Amino acid sequence: MTSRARSIRATSRPALPALAVTLALVASACSGPSPDESPRAADRPWDEVVAEAQGQTVDLWMFGGDEAGNAYVDDVLTPAAAELGVTLRRVPVADTKDAMNRVLSENAAGSTDGAVDLVWVNGDNFATGQEAGAWWCDWADDLPNLQYVADDDPLVAEDFGVPVDGCEAPWHKAQFTFAYDAARVTDPPTTVAGLLDWAEQNPGRFTYPAPPDFTGSVFVRQALYALSGGADEVPTSYSDEAFDDLTPALLDRLSELAPSLWRGGTTYPRDQQALDQLFADGQVDFTMTYGPATLTDLVADGTFPSTTTVLSVEDGTVGNASFLGIPASSPDQAGAAVVANLALSPEQQAAKADPAVWGQFTVLDVGLLDAADAARFANLPDSPVVPPYEELSRNAQPELASSWVNPLDEAWRREVLGSP
Amino acid sequence: MRTPSTFKTLPVVGRATIAVVVAVWLLLPLLPVLVWATADRWSFPDVLPSAWGVQGWRGAADAGLLSALARSLGLGLAVAAVATPLGVMLGRVLGWRLGRHPRVLVTVLLVPLVLPPFAVSMGLDVLMIRLGLPEPVSVVLLLATLALPYTAYTSAVGFSRTSPDLAAQARALGATARQARARVVLPAIRGPIVVAALLAFLVGWSDYVVTLLVGGGQLITAPVLLGSAAAGSGNDAIVAAMAVATLVPPVLLVTLASRARMAP
Repeated sequence: MTSRARSIRATSRPALPALAVTLALVASACSGPSPDESPRAADRPWDEVVAEAQGQTVDLWMFGGDEAGNAYVDDVLTPAAAELGVTLRRVPVADTKDAMNRVLSENAAGSTDGAVDLVWVNGDNFATGQEAGAWWCDWADDLPNLQYVADDDPLVAEDFGVPVDGCEAPWHKAQFTFAYDAARVTDPPTTVAGLLDWAEQNPGRFTYPAPPDFTGSVFVRQALYALSGGADEVPTSYSDEAFDDLTPALLDRLSELAPSLWRGGTTYPRDQQALDQLFADGQVDFTMTYGPATLTDLVADGTFPSTTTVLSVEDGTVGNASFLGIPASSPDQAGAAVVANLALSPEQQAAKADPAVWGQFTVLDVGLLDAADAARFANLPDSPVVPPYEELSRNAQPELASSWVNPLDEAWRREVLGSP
Repeated sequence: MRTPSTFKTLPVVGRATIAVVVAVWLLLPLLPVLVWATADRWSFPDVLPSAWGVQGWRGAADAGLLSALARSLGLGLAVAAVATPLGVMLGRVLGWRLGRHPRVLVTVLLVPLVLPPFAVSMGLDVLMIRLGLPEPVSVVLLLATLALPYTAYTSAVGFSRTSPDLAAQARALGATARQARARVVLPAIRGPIVVAALLAFLVGWSDYVVTLLVGGGQLITAPVLLGSAAAGSGNDAIVAAMAVATLVPPVLLVTLASRARMAP
């Protein structure tokens, strides 16, 4: 009989992704306050914030699947924070939604003694917290190091169409990137639409993660831009009208393409990790990522072939910035703000941009730095795999508002999945 | 479900076949993990790694595997310590008082299992935060609640197979109620209690959601570490090392417990 109890336990545990989604639903359903109720930071001198931060322990919740990112935080950022009198503690999570679930629960419980002080966040997760009034706001505008960020940088002012509004501090930039194995692809396409044609001409050699996976979802938005005649043709904010107008061409093209995909489009990789595995195994010739920084390491340690090459896309790809957010329920907000400011300093941004450390693109405008700090960036070694940000972000397009994401993912599931 | 008695009546060849199938079914998926845990480089289409080594173990140790295992051990033991006595008390009522209504018993015990644990814990999560209990205490209490059906069910089965007259006989021979419980009844159902404790331990040992969300990131146990590492690309050796390290203690415990149960 005990074996029965055990087998029930084993089968009653659902897969993590399904869990995360359900948790998000449950959590968002029970969250109370609206965005207008977001607590706002008081205006006060930075010295006071630094003084209050002394001795605080800041729990930074962040995706833990990126070894280089973990090492940067543990070996570079944490010691620097300690010098400022703040203990930084990294909490690794499988998905940022895990951190958001905790924050939303604290918010629903009206807690001001929460366990999350700082979150590496952007896009949907930021929007969810913003809707619930779960972020602490106005603090990010007061960070002294914000002076090195360009005022008119659209990537930093809005996060997937949601105004940042001082509720999170920029951390680094990312550019959606396709990579291919030059040993196998001798005639790489030069546009996103061309990439779809290439997939059709080379059956079984291309696929993309199934939305609502983050990367698969980005790919579909990228294809929407390409098939709508460019990013300018797609309004950033969502409307039913724009959706009905633009998506039929996208869905038709992706459905038409499906039989030419890996395994005839009858199945799709679950996430970027699964696609990376197919690429590493040589089963497909392309992979894609919003975190091109990881490519350097994946090639260096032999996971990816040494002939891995970043695809140069003439029409450009989407770019975004990711941020550090402080929950309203954090008891160590001063310490968290000090860490966010430190992370924005030219020293930290340059260290993080080094491909040997993490290779994340800076949010600073190097033109605003003094000569010594600018030199830090000029002296950075090039990655043998990833081109510099200026090249990668040529013709970069803004992300669509996060309200586009769910309708697109849902339409893909309805029309494209299982279409062959 | 195949009960032990029908299993025993199968011809020897049939039994051997079933044993082999079960072994392959359980062990085959583990093989690549075991190989990855000792591989420094293993790319498709190589059948075996091109470089062997301990990089994965080093990476796992750097990520804090040892302290995570220690936290998992502590959590598993604490959950077992809370859920086992409660389960035995509940099992006594269920096994002895409701023993003639097994359907009621099964329904009562399985209802909590039908509700997904994360749905239960999400509601209680907010409550726990409001209560302001220290986070590790909340985690132990919640996981013990989730483990209770297993410990109660296992003990109930033990009690239902043991006659309530046993205690009465001991009392008739002059034992106090406490002595009858401690010296006669509990030893008689020692096996099911060991299994109950083991199941409760496994609930604590293997949990991810409650440990992370209710624990507020204070308890970075082996599954939390493993889950976050497995979410990235190119960590295969580290993930494999963590998986093996996370798997070995429960497997050892299950083996030891089944030996203890077999012993006369």
